[in-house]
Amino acid sequence: MEQAPRLNLSERVIRALGLALLVFGGFFPLVWMLLTSLKTEGELQQFPVQYLPSQPDVANYARVFSEQPFGTFFMNSLIVSVLSTLLCVAVAVPAAYALARLEIRARGLLLTLVVAFSMLPVVSLLVPLFRLMRSAQLLNSYPALILPYAALSLPVAILTLVAFFSAIPRDLESAAMVDGSTRVGAMTRIVLPLSLPGVVTAALLVFVNSWNEFLLALSFNTRLNMRTVSVGVTLYQGEFAFPWPLISAAVVIAVVPIVVLIAVFQKRFVAGLTAGGVKA
Amino acid sequence: MRTEAGNVRTAPAPRARRRRGGDGLLAALLLAPAVLLLCGVLLFPMLTTFRDSLFVNKLTEPWAGTPFVGLAQYAQMVGDPRFLTALRNTLFFGVLTVGGSFLVGIPMALLAHTPSRVRGLARVALLLPWAMPPVITGLIFAWLFNGQYGVVNDVLVRAGIVGEPLRWLSTPGLAVVAMVVTIVWKTSSFVALIVLGGLQGIPRELTEAADVDGATRVQTFWRVILPLLAPSLAVAFIFRAISAVQVFDIPYTFIQQAPAQGLLETLGVYIYRTSIEFLDFGYAATLSVALFAVSLAVTLVYVRFVRGGEG
Repeated sequence: MEQAPRLNLSERVIRALGLALLVFGGFFPLVWMLLTSLKTEGELQQFPVQYLPSQPDVANYARVFSEQPFGTFFMNSLIVSVLSTLLCVAVAVPAAYALARLEIRARGLLLTLVVAFSMLPVVSLLVPLFRLMRSAQLLNSYPALILPYAALSLPVAILTLVAFFSAIPRDLESAAMVDGSTRVGAMTRIVLPLSLPGVVTAALLVFVNSWNEFLLALSFNTRLNMRTVSVGVTLYQGEFAFPWPLISAAVVIAVVPIVVLIAVFQKRFVAGLTAGGVKA
Repeated sequence: MRTEAGNVRTAPAPRARRRRGGDGLLAALLLAPAVLLLCGVLLFPMLTTFRDSLFVNKLTEPWAGTPFVGLAQYAQMVGDPRFLTALRNTLFFGVLTVGGSFLVGIPMALLAHTPSRVRGLARVALLLPWAMPPVITGLIFAWLFNGQYGVVNDVLVRAGIVGEPLRWLSTPGLAVVAMVVTIVWKTSSFVALIVLGGLQGIPRELTEAADVDGATRVQTFWRVILPLLAPSLAVAFIFRAISAVQVFDIPYTFIQQAPAQGLLETLGVYIYRTSIEFLDFGYAATLSVALFAVSLAVTLVYVRFVRGGEG
């Protein structure tokens, strides 16, 4: 098991303080939005700041849904993120299997290209992608976001999966093939089940990327009923007014899926991100 | 395959060759969907950008058409003070935020690495900033740094550090500080996670041996752990450098809060505005090529580093 660190008292105090700071630093901004969302506009306009809401009020959460079709935004985000995740993983798994397992002469070159694709700046692709989507008559549709989200996350998914596939002993596959299984049979029956954790990790990374994307969603799906939550949260601000309790409530709702995924799959996320130096 | 070929030494050569041929076809089939998606949605638009950068294409002046101007827009870019400012801002923010994310991220990784009762909680705290949508991070920190009722001002005033609330987002110098803090908060997690991966790969015997030899913890860190972390640090550095060059969402949200801040305009924001607000597609493409060039330079360093490490 874990080493028992022989820390003296001052080291323990420093570590405890550090951990407290880490947890506080990670959670505070979101906790502050949660507290803000329970306050009234009048309560916010006090200085010094009143830290806890005097009468916690969930009215802002109702207003989030009544002032904008936030339920629709949420569903749009869910649909787009789930479908782009499915598409991306479905394309990435065979590609990563080929790169990790088959004898391909251009393997090094292909992996280099995958890395290069992962570094393309999205903002530079904005106009040509916009035109592409327009000429395909896909603006204000789910595929307008699903296709680029799947493509943009594909390099990360492939690199993560290659790392996971490569860690599975080749002998397992060879044994199955000696026993008369075909290469494809060995892949689907032996390698895929063993690499399920890797597939889950890759899927989580794609989902988070898709849920969080802002620029393409802002530019491609401009009809109100096609907006996603990352754009939706910015729609509550007027030109000069920022109704912070309302914005805070929208922010809290928008990050619920992310927070739930992180809490449930924290080990998988850490494993995925530390596996091969994958891009955030 | 390599081990397999070694095992079946007796297998006749033609069979082995046939197997390899089959592999080639299978590989092509397995790779085809990925190649199609990457080429259709990323490569094709990228090539279009190069072509567009040679044509004037302003939606605000439709009568001008889209004449071929060669490298004229590149010449325009080199003499464009707004481009030069955006480039300088980008590099300035890059240095500050990449450096900051290492200063914060490495201690975070060391903390998350040592076993403790709150490890799960620490992991979630570590992952949250990384997983948060950047545009939402921007909104949250704009509120934390609010000039009148922001909690940052409250803490500073209560602590007696400043007499009255600071106008963080509308004072140029302070706006830069606020944005750097926000980006460092958002990106330190990433550095921490990569470094954590590196820490997990260091055999325990090495640090224990140093311990037995009477090295202090600080000595062990500098002489044993840090050199072994070098590859992870390099990977984290390059990915951070790339994302720093391309930063868009957070400056974009900050500028929404304080519209007059030319100081916060990064290359990414300038490209966005040139294309979406000024509808100057040709020049936006030229600016995009500049951003490609900067990204590519960092990518090449990465590829060289990774391949050097493998070979």
